Amino acid sequence: MSFDPIPYDLLDAFKHFFSVFGSTMLIAIVVCLIVGVLTRGMSGIGDVFRGILDFFVQITHVSCRRVWSLSILTVREALRQKILFVFIIFAVLFMFAGWFLSGAADRPDLQVQSYIDFVLKAISWLVIPIMLLLACWSLPEDIRLRTIHTVVTKPVYRIEIVMGRMLGFTLLGSAILLVMGTVGYIWINRQVPESAQYKLVSKVPVYGSISFTDREGAPTTAGINVGDIWMYRSYIEGATKARAVYKFKGIDESDAINDKLVLQSSFEAFRTHKGNMDKGGILYQFIFVNDEKNLRVPSRPLINKEYSDNVLEINRKLKDDNADGGAGEELDIFTDLVDKDGNLTVEVQCLEAGQLLGMARPDLFIRTPDHAFLSGYSKAVFGIWLPMVLVIMLGVTISCFVKGPVAILTTLTIVLVGFMSKEYMTELLSGQMQAAGAIEAWYRLITHMNSQTELPAGPVKFMIEIVDTGIINFLWLCQQIIPNFGVFSNMREYVIKGFDVSWDAALLPGIITTAAYILPCLLVSFYSLKLRELEAK
Amino acid sequence: MNKLTSKHRKLAYVIAIIVLLIPVIWLGMPSTGEEGSGGELAKLRVKHELGESTLGDVDPSSASMNFVLLGLRGIATNMLWLDAKDYQEKKEWAKLRSTVDSIILLQPHYMKVWDFQGWNLAYNVSAEWDAVEDRYFWVKEGIKFLNEGVTRNERFPELDWKVGNLHGQKVGRSDEWKLFRKFYKVDPDTERFKDGPDPEINPERLDNYQVAKEQFLIANEKELKHKQHLQMRMLFRGSPWHAQFDYANAMQREGKFGKQRTDAWAQGFKDWTTIFGREEFITPKGPIVLEWTEDDIKNLAARDDNITEADVRHWINRYQDTSNYRFWRTRALSESETETIDAHKAIYDGEQLFRSGKFDEAKVQLEKGMALYALVLNKYPSLLSEDLAIEEGLQAVILWRYIHDLKGLQVPASFPLKPLWNKEQGRVPELENDLRRRYGIQ
Repeated sequence: MSFDPIPYDLLDAFKHFFSVFGSTMLIAIVVCLIVGVLTRGMSGIGDVFRGILDFFVQITHVSCRRVWSLSILTVREALRQKILFVFIIFAVLFMFAGWFLSGAADRPDLQVQSYIDFVLKAISWLVIPIMLLLACWSLPEDIRLRTIHTVVTKPVYRIEIVMGRMLGFTLLGSAILLVMGTVGYIWINRQVPESAQYKLVSKVPVYGSISFTDREGAPTTAGINVGDIWMYRSYIEGATKARAVYKFKGIDESDAINDKLVLQSSFEAFRTHKGNMDKGGILYQFIFVNDEKNLRVPSRPLINKEYSDNVLEINRKLKDDNADGGAGEELDIFTDLVDKDGNLTVEVQCLEAGQLLGMARPDLFIRTPDHAFLSGYSKAVFGIWLPMVLVIMLGVTISCFVKGPVAILTTLTIVLVGFMSKEYMTELLSGQMQAAGAIEAWYRLITHMNSQTELPAGPVKFMIEIVDTGIINFLWLCQQIIPNFGVFSNMREYVIKGFDVSWDAALLPGIITTAAYILPCLLVSFYSLKLRELEAK
Repeated sequence: MNKLTSKHRKLAYVIAIIVLLIPVIWLGMPSTGEEGSGGELAKLRVKHELGESTLGDVDPSSASMNFVLLGLRGIATNMLWLDAKDYQEKKEWAKLRSTVDSIILLQPHYMKVWDFQGWNLAYNVSAEWDAVEDRYFWVKEGIKFLNEGVTRNERFPELDWKVGNLHGQKVGRSDEWKLFRKFYKVDPDTERFKDGPDPEINPERLDNYQVAKEQFLIANEKELKHKQHLQMRMLFRGSPWHAQFDYANAMQREGKFGKQRTDAWAQGFKDWTTIFGREEFITPKGPIVLEWTEDDIKNLAARDDNITEADVRHWINRYQDTSNYRFWRTRALSESETETIDAHKAIYDGEQLFRSGKFDEAKVQLEKGMALYALVLNKYPSLLSEDLAIEEGLQAVILWRYIHDLKGLQVPASFPLKPLWNKEQGRVPELENDLRRRYGIQ
């Protein structure tokens, strides 16, 4: 498993939104006031505030009936443009996909991942670009052909025109997504062989926090690094006091499945010598710890099967064979091992000398009763719906102030940067990257200077730093404005790995990201359309 | 200003189109399949065997993918390659496998892609898994991948050789060779393969080295038509016969000393001396054969006035040294003799008795084996030029000496194989470590 579901910090997100949105609005108002005063004198100030008030007047007087009529009109226009032809491409893809995907790796359990990945990718790659084209093209085309006059001459607010477009495209996109999602679901169920059907579930995990102790038993920040390029997992040494300590919060009886606590792990092994190859994996064990009651209850030795689900079901009543002087004492996991605050501490120990066991936080979790595959799958489809809505909002907004082709290019650029370059931008802006400035990089390239060498002091360095600071600040601005589309693709990863999509680590950030753009998009599109000369072609 | 009327302009366009069509048809007309048919480009494609169908089996999906991507397949391949690397680092094996398949759709006739990714699956990905069954699965994936490469590319004997090498060396010489060789005949996925081998890997339930030999023979056959760029031609062509020796040797490693093993060595000797030994190889001083007679020397020298008999002898010697020809000839010959078989068997039995803690019996067997082995080495001193032969003798002495240590006995001043022991002291520490690991000696 290569993803780490970290709960979303809602408060921090709101703080960030209000600081970015508030400061942008403040700057916009100040600029408008200056322009107003310069062009109209002191009456300009009143005009600016009247203009601001206009938005609030229109937004509070929005008629649902008018917006609905405009939405239906948008849908009809889109249907006239043969939008439903997308289903032909979809059908062709699904008719022949089986040829390409089956036999990719003829292990049914690995194939399931390929099938789900394909379906979700195919749907999003078909729906999102088409909705982008429609959203960007529609309004400029109406203005060019002057068909917009049939609408603006009627008693409708400009904000209603924008909202009608957005809602119309969203309705249409949702209908297409619903059909494709349903077909995709049936296709996956039919394609996955009987022997791998058990893989089609939505596991509901409870993750804990992880910490490590070294070979002497002293707490340490991480385990051993065995030289993996991907430093995701930390390793503990076998037959020493090295442990990985998992702490699960809020555990109670409702987390049991048939009165059993189910622990699922996917650790990685690293051997320093061949050892016993016949067992199929190295030995490890869990130790349940309750410091309040001074209890340490080990599980039986387990064999670690790499890259597969190691499931340990423990009866809630278990025997503590190692209790001093009280062999065989019966304990209840939820009353004796879970502490009074609802925390369960599980230590992982590698039992074989000279072998190491690697783990990361998501590698051990408590598995609570599974949800149906449909639950995770529909949430992943919802994870396609959210960026689709965002793309529609951005497309309609941008098309309010530029012509069709420019709107398409602008929206496409924002979407591509949001999907692919967000991490890169964050890396650049974090200051961790050496010689990150564009001009500095260019200078070093042509002078064959590596990034470790200091730039020679002088006017050249001064100029480079000034220009690069400007570029970096502009990049920072872009980073704040461009949506992070990466949060949506995370949802796909959950379903591919057989998990239900987490609410606080995936769904919530997706919903909040989309919702954050509603008000800014409405504001920008309202004023763009208000100020735009609709007679101009 | 243009003074032509609209009608004249259209006429001029038609004439220009017809004029331009002539070279296009002359150059690009497709071939009907018959020799000499089609345009110049089609003829050149046939001449240089560059047509899709002459390169190997055509995969329609691959051909259409390349057609759709026009000139961008290089970029698409690079991006996929980076993805594959990323998946491998993050241990996303299913995604890695499907990405590799996508790369192949775009570059079906680029030999290095098949070569690298086949090796990557069989060696690197396999080694990432902990369970031997899983490792074997990925070795099979590597072999299947390369098999696909072979069917799609008729012109690369290197790929056939690589397939042979995976069947032979990867299955037979890995750390996990004992289990791999077992799985080769009875796949660990018993539910799917019903206690038999994976039919895509070993349809006839043969030994892995026998399959390797078959693959190497196919590679040799192709090499006659298409030049290989893997290694010296003589070494390349010697691979099937080495696989035969490995087959015989593997039985010995597993303690099988019966007729099948002796026949395998005899077959190896025959192949080595009558097929490989009699094949002509071109040297800077003309052709030579490794298994020669005086008449051969005279005949070969007589083919060119500039070549003397001394030249022929010199190059035969050089090539024999390079291929270790004389050693393998002697080894194969000696392995058919009772004395050698008894020596191997006694040493093997001694090791097994040692493993089961029967030190007295082990000491007796090892002493017997060492004495017999010393006789074999005296009779065939050229065996001392090969690592395997030396190590077998040294391992027997190490175990025998260790038994003396365990029992508190004085190691005799004189013992069989003492000259070998004294001469090869440099190898002893590494072999001792190896034996410690193998037998769990502290």
